Amino acid sequence: MTPRWLKPEFRKQGAAALLSSAPLTSTAEDAPVTPPSGYWWWGGRGASVLIEQRAVWVNLGLLLALVLASIAYLCLGSLALDPREVIGALAGQGSMMTTFMVQELRLPRLVAACLTGGAFALAGILMQTLARNRLATPGIIGIDNGATAFAVASVVGLSVSLAPSAMALTGAVTAAVLTFGLAAGSGTQGYRFIVAGIGVGAVFGAITQLLLARVAIDTANAAYPWTVGSLNARAGGSVQLLAVGLALGLIAALALARSLTILRFSEATANGLGVNAKARRMQILLLSVVLTALAVAVAGPVGMVGLIGPEIARALSTPRHVPVVAATLSGALVMVLADLAGRTLLAPIELPVGIVTAIIGGPWLLWILMRPQRSHA
Amino acid sequence: MKVLARAKRLDQRTLLLCLLTALVAVSVVSLLVGAGSVSPLRAFSMLLGSEDSDAHFVVWELRAPRTLIGIAVGMALGVSGALLQAVARNPLAEPGLLGVSAGAAFAVALALVLGASAASLRISVAQVGALAGCLCVLGVARWRGVGNDPIRLVLAGAAFSALLGALTSLMLLFDQRSADEVRFWVIGSLAGRRLDDLWAVLPSMAFCTALIALIARPLSALALGERMASGLGHHPQLIRALVVLCVALLVGAATAIAGPIIFVGLVVPFIARAFAGPDIRRTLWFCLPIGPLIILAADIISRVVVAPSELPLGVLTALCGAPVLIAAVRARRLPML
Repeated sequence: MTPRWLKPEFRKQGAAALLSSAPLTSTAEDAPVTPPSGYWWWGGRGASVLIEQRAVWVNLGLLLALVLASIAYLCLGSLALDPREVIGALAGQGSMMTTFMVQELRLPRLVAACLTGGAFALAGILMQTLARNRLATPGIIGIDNGATAFAVASVVGLSVSLAPSAMALTGAVTAAVLTFGLAAGSGTQGYRFIVAGIGVGAVFGAITQLLLARVAIDTANAAYPWTVGSLNARAGGSVQLLAVGLALGLIAALALARSLTILRFSEATANGLGVNAKARRMQILLLSVVLTALAVAVAGPVGMVGLIGPEIARALSTPRHVPVVAATLSGALVMVLADLAGRTLLAPIELPVGIVTAIIGGPWLLWILMRPQRSHA
Repeated sequence: MKVLARAKRLDQRTLLLCLLTALVAVSVVSLLVGAGSVSPLRAFSMLLGSEDSDAHFVVWELRAPRTLIGIAVGMALGVSGALLQAVARNPLAEPGLLGVSAGAAFAVALALVLGASAASLRISVAQVGALAGCLCVLGVARWRGVGNDPIRLVLAGAAFSALLGALTSLMLLFDQRSADEVRFWVIGSLAGRRLDDLWAVLPSMAFCTALIALIARPLSALALGERMASGLGHHPQLIRALVVLCVALLVGAATAIAGPIIFVGLVVPFIARAFAGPDIRRTLWFCLPIGPLIILAADIISRVVVAPSELPLGVLTALCGAPVLIAAVRARRLPML
């Protein structure tokens, strides 16, 4: 057995320490704390936190961009408004027309855009981290389509009178169970899992078409926004439900943040570091599916946001953490800008936001696939 | 699978004959069954010679063209699937999945929005679009790293189709008139097609048949590898180019008549290979009856399931094709072509 004084951790303290009877503990209280570079250290003796400076700047920058985009969103449209008029209308001072336009027409739509974008992107980054695959967003592996099929079923009224949100939730859970169950043999890593998800998505897409083919043309037109993704037809209570869901989901995701960081490594590593990988995976999957379903109930399948938002967040952040908040903010930003573009670029024709994001996201997805492979998310 | 293994031991000619008989039977059923008021019994007695002008009109003017078109579309899609899989050396290469049909649909939508409406123009436009889609797919397949991985190619195709689909709907937003015309066509259906559409595509289908007869032998040599094929005196690049031309013409023709019908090009060669083994020449023979069989069966179901309205054919093929895709992906080792 090695003598105690030969062990490296004691060597520095020298023979004097060994001879004295004082316990050999670390002397953290006495030493001044020097946080690692790039971090702020904050806290007292009982508890302390390290805050990554870059994450703070990134999130503040994204928030600023989101605020600017929102002001532009409120200003531009079929009737362009001055930013001062908009702020006046928001405060309730202004002409009847501008107040009505801002408060009744554009503001609710802006809120819906922010919430759905944030929810899709948050669900996307959770799923990507869970599957350790940057292509595994709910939109690509068929969960969006499942939620859409069921939401359409509630709209065309198949003798079920559930709200779209509840139906979308059922559909999303069904699709998730199918995809993960069917891909169980091939593991979540690699592309097989994704292609199984595409197959599941195709089935649900066909079911949506089947439902639309069965009903009268007017009902089919009412359900059409759900098939392409649009902020035009927001069902009554689903936005409020999404707001609550996104707030709770963000809190839950922050609580899971440490596990998320560790789950990027192998399951054995995660277990060794004290994370119950299996339970955490289940929680993350559930969170992602619920967020997707709530967002689909509002806007239909705008799944590409779930791919683009996390990509932007990862490009801006350091790879040390999973940028949960940054992904949510950039998803909201993308959605607001996409809907703004859809409303204004080809006016008076209004492009559904799903088409805008598909035109941006399709080439992006191809680019990810075509690049020589380096690393997974 | 056990049944298939036993079936393989049967003489393949007998098997082919059985499939042809089944095709004839399904065609007769397709004449008899429909969503309208003419019942199968009435249609049958009309076929046997009773005087019934209603039934005569429905059977010979509505259902017969539809059946013939179904047979043509099924053959074209099945054969083009087998050809594309052979040339991409990828068992998942399917015209619908890889974006060839989406390219054709995009071209047709573009032509409609620009004001074209003649049937023959639509077919040539669809064929040009399919050719562009094919070239994109094969360009991507030869890209470093992607072509070696069949599944990655499918993903790239899905992304490509999604992009083209979005662009198609974008164009349709501009033009409400063509939107109504295209919306039902985009889903894929055989309903309401006239015999003229079939005559318009027959020349290009005949041309493809002749071409395939010429290149079948070199193509099966290509399955042994590029070097082996050159060593046997063939020209791999030329064969590939001809196959791509064939696939584009066939898929373009089928898409122009029936709209983009996905998954048929995946399912048909999948079954045909189970019967015929790895040789592409035999696979192609088996694709000829199996493609129409599947299309006609799906079409009959689509007429009956939601009577008196009809289900788009593309819905049914997606419903039965997606499980095949998942099964193929789940298999530990994809069969290499």
